[in-house]
Amino acid sequence: MGFIFNDVAIDLLEKYLDAAYQRQEVTANNIANINTPGYKKSYVVFEEFLAQALKEKEGAPLRCTHPAHLGSVPALDEIAPEIRRDYSTSHRADGNNVSIEEEMAVLAVNAINYNLAAQQLSNKLSLLRYVITEGRG
Amino acid sequence: MKLIPGIAISASALTAQKLWMDLIANNIANMNTTRTEGGGPYRRQMPVFRERLKEALEGGYRGNGVRVERIIEDDAPPRMVYNPDHPDADENGFVAMPNINIVNEMIDLIAASRAYEANVTVLNTSKSMALKALEIGR
Repeated sequence: MGFIFNDVAIDLLEKYLDAAYQRQEVTANNIANINTPGYKKSYVVFEEFLAQALKEKEGAPLRCTHPAHLGSVPALDEIAPEIRRDYSTSHRADGNNVSIEEEMAVLAVNAINYNLAAQQLSNKLSLLRYVITEGRG
Repeated sequence: MKLIPGIAISASALTAQKLWMDLIANNIANMNTTRTEGGGPYRRQMPVFRERLKEALEGGYRGNGVRVERIIEDDAPPRMVYNPDHPDADENGFVAMPNINIVNEMIDLIAASRAYEANVTVLNTSKSMALKALEIGR
């Protein structure tokens, strides 16, 4: 990213959009397999990593330079969404553990969050445009 | 990364659920069919759903929707109905009728149509997300 885009918020919003996109795909796949016997649902973990990294940023961090370092918390620019699969539960006799209510709720919340992040990014960019055009844009 | 998240996933699910509905329609249509290509009464058909995965070499999330692996026939014995006048009746006057239970079929029909609706909702949500992404920087 160049000098005028050197803004943590823009990077974070981009990451968030990627994570929400991924979550949409994962949720779509869960709902697609609602009638597949033995299917186990997947989910995206991202917000936890983000919160961890932000907390680390506030304190005086001992920066880990390698993921294998003890107590390693990824730096803000290194966090990425992680997809996990839940093998621990079974909702039905056929071994499927997709709960349609839960998935639809995740879907609705995720779409709103995605729109929020996209809107926020738009606002950031329009602020930049405003400055570039000396307040005439 | 494609523009619309999971469009192929939702599309595959719509196709699979629709195929299930086709099979249910066929089952109900053939509720009283005693003559089939293979001989004997019609047998109830059911889809076997299986999770579809992307090629491992593509990397990233591998879930890629659902597919109908094959269509199986129900092994349940035929329904024996006493009807000596029927041309397919055996020597005791019983006719082997298809092993279709209309209540089961109706329940499956509801399950299939609800699953279809859920996937349409997902598709619409994905679409609105993609439209929102196009507005960034406008």
